[in-house]
Amino acid sequence: MKIMPCPLNGPRNIQEFICRGEVRIPPAADASAEAWAEYLFYRENKAGIVREWWCHLPTTFWFIAERDTRTDEIIRTYTFDALDESGSGR
Amino acid sequence: MSGAEGARAANGNPRRSFFQRQLEELGARFSILEDGPLATDFGTATAEREQARQLGLCDLSSLPRIGFKGANTAAWLAGRGVALPAQPHRLARIEDGLLACRLSPGEALLLSQPWGASRLIKDVERAWSIESAGLCFPVPRRDSHAWLALVGARVPAMLTKICGIDFRPHKFADLTLAQTQVARTSAIVARADVEGTGCWHLLFDSASAAYMWQVLIDAMSEFDGRPVGCAALAPPGSAL
Repeated sequence: MKIMPCPLNGPRNIQEFICRGEVRIPPAADASAEAWAEYLFYRENKAGIVREWWCHLPTTFWFIAERDTRTDEIIRTYTFDALDESGSGR
Repeated sequence: MSGAEGARAANGNPRRSFFQRQLEELGARFSILEDGPLATDFGTATAEREQARQLGLCDLSSLPRIGFKGANTAAWLAGRGVALPAQPHRLARIEDGLLACRLSPGEALLLSQPWGASRLIKDVERAWSIESAGLCFPVPRRDSHAWLALVGARVPAMLTKICGIDFRPHKFADLTLAQTQVARTSAIVARADVEGTGCWHLLFDSASAAYMWQVLIDAMSEFDGRPVGCAALAPPGSAL
């Protein structure tokens, strides 16, 4: 059984969660069409440590997980509040 | 009151338990509450009380329950006489046996005592208004969630077959809750012992009621578990 450490519920079977993709910071409202197209239609799909949105389904609790896509290791998890403006977890 | 009589008496009230058919087939006797018929026993009250010490399944879906959600939830409920526990995943016993569950910092679930309707839940429900409560909004649970109680010493062993959480008494203390999956269905499991016997309340999507009943009856059979009426959970002498 693979375990996900949920910031609200603690360590749980990963079957209780769903991954909803990369955490992405939207461009400013007056950004160029190219910047918005990049944001809407492209994903980084990096081999390495990525930051992703995850949801604990029984509580619909959303949080952020840092995961190494090469090893599928979960590095750490935290709530959106802990994500600072630069996009990095505090 | 027999199953058939209970069904007839409930005719005036369209509400009934999600498990009404299963209970009637087992010969349940009902007590008619405001929210529908509640199975008090199956005609073997003394044996059911003994059964509940080992492994019993009790339908409580006709009892009042309500949730509240929002940043002001704990403060507003405290003003109505319902003090939530300080930490999430805990519950507290309040006046008239009401169980006040804190699901997260901003979400609460209020459950009646297992053997009768809580007056305080109705009072809190009536007291709520959008003007007075601020960021505290009701989350009705009466129709969305089925409610079963699993009672007895063999419950943790039985639950290991269908849930990944360790519910053994020394690992999952009284007045603790978990929001998890039971038999692949999202569920709230809240432990609130009755009369010194372990009791785990199970709340889950009411659309999965027939499925969950079947799963639990099957999982319990290995441990000689059986359905019991809510009288088996009541303190001796309490009025149902």
